[in-house]
Amino acid sequence: MAVDTPTVAAPGTRRLRPRAVLRTAAGAAGQVWQRVRHGELGSLPVVVGLGVVWAYFQIANENFLSSGNLTNLMLQIAAMGTISVGVVLVLLLGEIDLSVSYVSGLAAATMAVLNVKSEWPAVPAILAGLAVGAGIGLLQGLWVTKLKVPSFVVTLAGFLAWQGALGRVLGKTGTVNLSDDRITGLMGTFFSDAVGWALAATVVVLTAVSRLLRRRRRVAAGLPAGPATGDVGLVLVVAAAAVAAVAVFNDDRGVPLGVCIFVGFVVVFDVVTRRTVFGRHVFAIGGNPSAARQAGIRVDRVRTTVFVLAATMAAAGGILSASRLLAVNKSSGGGLLLLDAIAAAVIGGTSLFGGRGSAWSALLGALVIGSIANGMDLLGQTPDVKSMVTGAVLLVAATIDAVSRRGRLHDIRA
Amino acid sequence: MRLALVLAMLVPFVAVGCGGDDSNTVKIALLLPETKTARYETQDRPLFEAKVRELCRSCEILYSNAEQDVGQQQSQAEAALTNGADVLVLDPVDSASAASIVALAREREVPVVSYDRLVRDADIAYFVSYDATKVGELQARALTDKLAADGVSSGALVLINGAPTDYNATLFKRGAHSVIDGGPYSVGVEYDTPEWSPDEAQQEMEQALTRLGRDGFVGVYAANDGTAGGAIAAMKAAGIRPLPPITGQDAEVAGIQRILAGEQYMTVYKAIQPQAEVAATVALALARGSSPPADLVDDHVDNGFRRVPAMILEPVTVTADNVASTVVADGFWSPEDLCTAHYAAACTAAGIG
Repeated sequence: MAVDTPTVAAPGTRRLRPRAVLRTAAGAAGQVWQRVRHGELGSLPVVVGLGVVWAYFQIANENFLSSGNLTNLMLQIAAMGTISVGVVLVLLLGEIDLSVSYVSGLAAATMAVLNVKSEWPAVPAILAGLAVGAGIGLLQGLWVTKLKVPSFVVTLAGFLAWQGALGRVLGKTGTVNLSDDRITGLMGTFFSDAVGWALAATVVVLTAVSRLLRRRRRVAAGLPAGPATGDVGLVLVVAAAAVAAVAVFNDDRGVPLGVCIFVGFVVVFDVVTRRTVFGRHVFAIGGNPSAARQAGIRVDRVRTTVFVLAATMAAAGGILSASRLLAVNKSSGGGLLLLDAIAAAVIGGTSLFGGRGSAWSALLGALVIGSIANGMDLLGQTPDVKSMVTGAVLLVAATIDAVSRRGRLHDIRA
Repeated sequence: MRLALVLAMLVPFVAVGCGGDDSNTVKIALLLPETKTARYETQDRPLFEAKVRELCRSCEILYSNAEQDVGQQQSQAEAALTNGADVLVLDPVDSASAASIVALAREREVPVVSYDRLVRDADIAYFVSYDATKVGELQARALTDKLAADGVSSGALVLINGAPTDYNATLFKRGAHSVIDGGPYSVGVEYDTPEWSPDEAQQEMEQALTRLGRDGFVGVYAANDGTAGGAIAAMKAAGIRPLPPITGQDAEVAGIQRILAGEQYMTVYKAIQPQAEVAATVALALARGSSPPADLVDDHVDNGFRRVPAMILEPVTVTADNVASTVVADGFWSPEDLCTAHYAAACTAAGIG
């Protein structure tokens, strides 16, 4: 691995000389190639892929990268992406949850029926929907861990059963229209320009503070903290992304609340998986369950918790979806939703084999799938073409995962 | 011991099975296609069963629903024939592949009534349905008439069609185009919606808005109430006010509510009662060995195999003006179904409840 790790960084060099720049660039390219070969790609391929997809559609239709269409794109993927965040957690364990799509539909139907037919206020109705998700997750999680039935089978049974329950909850009228402002406002609220900029500033400040604290902690513990330029660079990248996003949203209708909820979930679960004991246990179990058990991790408890979280995220996604459609019907949670949510996680770089991935892959993967669907509809393409292209992208993503995994196994043997 | 118990529990079923050979009991099989649309379980089945009961107290009905699965419908039909059905009333999941079900029934000399959707290239005895092409015409006519009445003399329309796999959706589309093409309004952009999904329809409408611009279209043709709901949600999110006229179909509760609230212009109401009752009456006649009653044959339809005696019913356009005198007066929906808290005022204004 440590073949030609260039001694870049050169903390003493003030002025960059051309030759040094060249050497640095070559070194960086070499590093990337090393990472590709050794299965540490992270989100690089998906970002490149997203760039290709966006460039193609922008050339095909000049409206694709307009602020209105990008805002629509984010709203179109918010519900599916939220479900995908839960799928990422389950995949990190090396398990699967096939019931998430109809759990989302059932939770939304529960909320809708309580709010419209039983005239519950919005907040209790939404909480009841989330509780349905959590309860289902607990049931399925215990079934998997205590009765040792494979998660594929337990959640496949759930896929069928919750689909039936969805129809039963909606009753004979089939579709329930939503009109409560607080429910439809989840996806229908757009913040003013000033609030948008304040959000961007908050994000940048929080990132800077967390990097600074991390640096102090590492120095205090006598660990290498890496060059300060790395931290500054990261904060600058986050700042650029936040400013660009808010500028685009403000040019249209403003920053949508629904997108904040979705991205908020991604950030929270990113922190939970990377920075908490629970998160490290999830990775440990996904990487090697028996080793994790021998290390004293309460494997069953962690796995059950993950199933509860995944189903709750599915419920949250279902509620966002209902809020956007202004209705819940018998096809809520149907169609390609389940496959899209799983494909998003995989395209985003989360491994199907467990132990490798990130909450951000839900956002990135959902962006790729959403961009394809969005662009195809913009061009007026048929559903057939849409499915074929999405299938090809999924295959490429899974292949990159499999190839880089093989590289990693070679490392272990060596 | 346990085995004996199981056997004892099986006895009643076996007895019923044997009783099936009793030639005096007429058996009518009703094979419906799916459960996603509310109508099949809540309207077609109970209305059909009620009519059969009324005409023949001792008749037995073998009911099954294929849940949109062609293979499942095939095995359900085989099961009905094994159980001694004297006639099949078949609403096919797939209009073309259902021909194999008809062939199977004809081998046993069991007649088949094609219900709601036409089984093509097969020896069916009778067909009862609404005129699907007519539905598309009604929708497009209502849309263009409304635009003309509002003083909009030209402009682009957004067309949101049904599922590409559903033959009826093809006919709706054909009917709509027969009115729109050559008229003063152009087709701005047109979509086929997989599985009639409202979520897909919402995204299609959003993309149509991006493509044509907010002011780039004057009206929306949506093939049914579900897709209309998706399109309306897209336009509301984009802040389009007032909404342009938008069509629908099926007279779903959600669609009627949007019509009362002024968000959707029209829906197409196909009363299910006459359709189910005609099917029940004809099925009973066929099961008893006679031909369809002459007063229930008003047309013949060529299904590629022969000219099938048929009853083609007329669909009705429903707007805010005639909700009370159509769907409510017929008992298709009760005022309680329609007038939830949010729509109470609109209901009162329309003279309902």
